[in-house]
Amino acid sequence: MRVNYQTNASTQFRVLSDDQLEEMFHAVLRVLEEVGVNVHNEEARQILGDNGARVEDLRVHIPSYMVKRALSTAPRSFTVWARDGDPEKNLHIGPGRPYYGPGPTCPNFLDPTTGQRRKYVRQDAAAVAKVCDALPHIAFCESLGTVSDVHPSLGATYEFAEMFAHTSKPIVAWSYDWQDGEDIHKMAVAAAGGQKAFEKRPNYIHYCEPLSPLVGGEEAINKLIFAARHRVPLIFTPCPSAGGTAPATLAGILIQAAAESWMGLVISQLIAPGLPYFMGGVVSIMDMQRAVLAYGAPELSLLQAGLTELAHYVGLPLWTTGGCTDAKVIDQQAALEGALSVLFAGLSGGDLCHDVGYIEGGMTGSLQQLVMMNEVIGYTRHIRQGFEVTPETLAVDVIHQVGPGGHFLSEKHTLRHFREFWLPQLMDRRKVDDWEATGSKTLGDRVQEKLMEILETYQPPALPEGVPAQIEEILAAAEAREAE
Amino acid sequence: MSDVLERISKAVVVGDEDAIAKLTRAALDEGLSAKEILDGGLMPGMDYVGAEFKAGRMFVPEVLLSARTMKGSMAALEPLLAAGESIAVGKAIMGTVEGDLHDIGKNLVAMMMEGAGFQVIDLGVDVAPDAFVASVKKEKPDIVGMSALLTTTMRNMGRTIDALKEAGLRDQVRVMVGGAPVTADFARQIGADGTASSAPAAVDLAKGLLGLA
Repeated sequence: MRVNYQTNASTQFRVLSDDQLEEMFHAVLRVLEEVGVNVHNEEARQILGDNGARVEDLRVHIPSYMVKRALSTAPRSFTVWARDGDPEKNLHIGPGRPYYGPGPTCPNFLDPTTGQRRKYVRQDAAAVAKVCDALPHIAFCESLGTVSDVHPSLGATYEFAEMFAHTSKPIVAWSYDWQDGEDIHKMAVAAAGGQKAFEKRPNYIHYCEPLSPLVGGEEAINKLIFAARHRVPLIFTPCPSAGGTAPATLAGILIQAAAESWMGLVISQLIAPGLPYFMGGVVSIMDMQRAVLAYGAPELSLLQAGLTELAHYVGLPLWTTGGCTDAKVIDQQAALEGALSVLFAGLSGGDLCHDVGYIEGGMTGSLQQLVMMNEVIGYTRHIRQGFEVTPETLAVDVIHQVGPGGHFLSEKHTLRHFREFWLPQLMDRRKVDDWEATGSKTLGDRVQEKLMEILETYQPPALPEGVPAQIEEILAAAEAREAE
Repeated sequence: MSDVLERISKAVVVGDEDAIAKLTRAALDEGLSAKEILDGGLMPGMDYVGAEFKAGRMFVPEVLLSARTMKGSMAALEPLLAAGESIAVGKAIMGTVEGDLHDIGKNLVAMMMEGAGFQVIDLGVDVAPDAFVASVKKEKPDIVGMSALLTTTMRNMGRTIDALKEAGLRDQVRVMVGGAPVTADFARQIGADGTASSAPAAVDLAKGLLGLA
């Protein structure tokens, strides 16, 4: 037994000190109280006003005690359930357990077969879900697109129906408004076995966004209220750009992003105390030559790490960002930018890391990028776990046994431990002649083969009996509503 | 080039908002006309800024500061013009369409167009088709610019164009649409005259639509 001895159970990475975090926390509280937020939703303003906020027209000043109260009721640890309850697929949100998945609402999609950029269609949602279900390091499913080939108000409804049928991993669902949010919820509840059962084991998360700077839009807050009333775990995630819709300084954009996200925290915790809530943010810089948000910038990784630390400092899980790129195709830039943000998201430990599979700065979704990043996530996980220091791992005995000039290949010690090495699925370490003999395939080629293999052979778990028929009814009712 | 015009150009390039009004007055005192100040001082400055921006040596916030500096000079010149006379290269009304509160893209295009010598009337966000129609009647612009970020609100661009048609105004204006989900196909489909994928490209498009490029 050792004394006064500390162990690192993982690698250590930190950007901000406790003092810096405390200072930032109080700056967020000041922004919410002194500047306030514009809430374009009468019901939400009423709720906030009734509970102590100062409401002046659209502007709502939220005093710090309301924020602290909301932080005290929001849980840090909870479970989001796979729809089939598969223990391998449940998300156990809590300290030190980052998960990865795709992002929402890209207008375009890289065709999985041809690699051509085209509009995102309904069947793509099924393909994305299937691939998410098959990839071991992708833990949740989001669609990577906006369905373009159905009634324009029902894009999100069909998107969810397709995803729900093609993966049992928890889905992060996006909707246009209350009504399609309700369609989606009905489908999830049908599989859960009723609203009560859903509340015990929620099988999806609702995603909505404030506008930067400091605005809650009518529909976004409507959706948030719907989710809170129905006890759907919630993500409220701003997307500010430093120098554009937020201050150009990195501390400044984080303060603003936190204030925006906590507007949703306060409203939702007032409606449903204890509701699982993810603070969110895609935080990066505006590229000042192109006036676009940079998804591959080093600032993205640095800012996401800072936001993660701030969220964890106040006891909230974070919806973070990584695995994304500004590249237009699956090239070296896509691999490099995606890999670095996956690594830093893993090192900083943001709870759900989304936008894996975004290319072209989020304008296009790509399953090729998702498959490539799955490998990177595995790689990152391996680095993150660090290594043990014990008499067994120090291996002085086996070094003694082998001695100078010997080898370790046939040692029992080696047999006990070599399987701890990370085993690549897509990285190639063969000799060049072997590599040439099998077609000199690049990483891109191997990614494409892996993707095709999944799409052609993988069978995701089916929905429970009776649920597909209920989903058809929900879709038919939605069509009838929109036809009116 | 007279010394004062060169100083006006430089003030535009470095974005010297404090000096521009004084320099503009000095130029007028020398007997230069508003048109001469625009063509000989302000526009050469903005042209230089535009070229530097395209070459990647100047950045968006600097271009906007230059545009604002130019606007400061224009504000000093406007009162001196005869009634009905204008030194603007064109007039545009711009707004984010109904149901959409996103405005940074629209603001950026508006500022860049001002920098290119356009008079821009900004209708703000969540602008209903009727409000666009009313503004076209009142302002008689050359260009109507619409912005949307959401695929849902994007549809209101088509509705606004339909409203302009119904009011018999469609032929009197050129319609530009923009925003992340807007494509050239979509612009054609709804009967717009064009779209651009960035703010500088939008300025080029506006000039092209008016035959200025």
